[in-house]
Amino acid sequence: MPTNDSKPIVQVENLHKWFDLLHVLRGVSFTVDPQEVLVLIGRSGSGKSTLLRCLNMLEEPSAGSITIGPVSVRVEPGKHVDRRQATAIRLQTGMVFQEFNLFPHMTALQNVIEGLVTVKKLPREEAAAIGEKYLDKVGLLPKRDVHPVRLSGGQKQRVAIARSLAMEPKVLLFDEPTSALDPELIGEVLDVMRRLALEGTTMMVVTHEMSFASDVADRVLYLDHGVIVEQGPPTQILKSPQDERTAVFLRSFLESRGD
Amino acid sequence: MDLSNVMQPGDRASDPDWEMGLRLLAVQRRRRLAFAVRLAAVWLALVAALAFVLLQLNVDPLYAVDHSAFVLQGVLTTIGVSMASISVATVLALLGALGKLSRSSIAQGIAGFYVSLIRGTPLLIQIYLIYLGLPQIGQQFANRGMPGIGGMLTLNAIQSGILALSVNYGAYMTEIFRAGIQSIGHGQREAAKSIGMGEWHILRRVILPQAVRVIIPDIGNQFIAMQKDSSLVSIMGIWEITYRANRLARKDIKFMEMFLLAAAIYWFMTIVSSWAEGWLERRLSHAYER
Repeated sequence: MPTNDSKPIVQVENLHKWFDLLHVLRGVSFTVDPQEVLVLIGRSGSGKSTLLRCLNMLEEPSAGSITIGPVSVRVEPGKHVDRRQATAIRLQTGMVFQEFNLFPHMTALQNVIEGLVTVKKLPREEAAAIGEKYLDKVGLLPKRDVHPVRLSGGQKQRVAIARSLAMEPKVLLFDEPTSALDPELIGEVLDVMRRLALEGTTMMVVTHEMSFASDVADRVLYLDHGVIVEQGPPTQILKSPQDERTAVFLRSFLESRGD
Repeated sequence: MDLSNVMQPGDRASDPDWEMGLRLLAVQRRRRLAFAVRLAAVWLALVAALAFVLLQLNVDPLYAVDHSAFVLQGVLTTIGVSMASISVATVLALLGALGKLSRSSIAQGIAGFYVSLIRGTPLLIQIYLIYLGLPQIGQQFANRGMPGIGGMLTLNAIQSGILALSVNYGAYMTEIFRAGIQSIGHGQREAAKSIGMGEWHILRRVILPQAVRVIIPDIGNQFIAMQKDSSLVSIMGIWEITYRANRLARKDIKFMEMFLLAAAIYWFMTIVSSWAEGWLERRLSHAYER
């Protein structure tokens, strides 16, 4: 649980993103406290994925400022972000993708230690020890020498989580981590994420898993047309939203799910 | 959920129709075997027909057999020139592809110009330009008191042949490498970036290992084509297969015999090459097998 007097670990101010003339993020500002779990919800096209991707510079923000841990990046409109700054902020974040994006030519362990070896320049044995620790954490140590093609979707996503964890980032970003999974495989991934949350990992999660949001999130943030419309504890946002747009989204969402 | 118990093939005890499955499998196998036999028969018939026609045309196979050792001595030269050229061409192609995909206007411009110029002109002309044209420029340098540069521009036949084949094939293979690199999903690059990898590491450890697997069949194709195109270097008097065959053919007026012999040797070499390519392809696919 976040404590109120702690200094935020993520600070985003007035973030904008244009794709040509499409204004996807329209001045987004928020903070994330250490150990907080933030869940972002919203329709497709609301900008929630773009927001995550801007945080680690997979998309270059058009304007605004981002601070994660000790690294601050201020983006002036029309100017590119310095490559070193982008790398510095990436090292503060870990990203888990909808499509896993494991490296298919590497075993599970090699996937997990790739960043340790090439970026952190750790000796191979040391990296392997760390890699095994995190594979164990996601329950996949027995699969250490298996290539991704022989893993199920859920296992792939758990290896991908271990790969992000191994770099020991300040905040983990999840971009619809269960959307590409068969229904029976979603649970194992959500279980891992739940455990991470309990251990105090700071996380930002874009998801449509409302039960995960209500169980695990400290705060839910509703995004609509590139603006944060409403935010608060899950009980408030999911059960009694104040804004009409949030209410409409949740109603139509639950109807389409049939539950 | 573990499905391996349910999906286990060959579950004799629980399957009442086990016998029928066996019969179907046997029929399937027999059909496949019969097809392979028919295919081999067609090949044999074609080879026999070719041999028959040649014998009718008063071709003297014994002459070719007697002189095959002399021509076969050129095989190593042909392989050497081809191997050296495909190696240099691969390096050029990688640089070309990186140039084409680069954000730098200079790199993109140079790569585009290289591919366009080289693909747009005949290999034979390129060989002449390198072997005969460059020394002419070298002479100018030598005349102006720069014999070092003059010497560098005067290449012997082997050097000229390797340079021409490398530069020529490098241009074609640039497009192969570019397509191979682009075939690797964008997610791979993003995942690598997200763990903080730099451009060089992303290329060398994530993109290229996957791209090479995709383009190995194309590179193999280029290598096969190059072995045959290397016959063009015979015009510079390099003692490879074609040159040797040509020499005897002219001496004894045995064109059909000697050029058919040379053709057969090239054919055999390319068959070996495609086997090797297939083996390499299977080896590199290991990680992708379920």
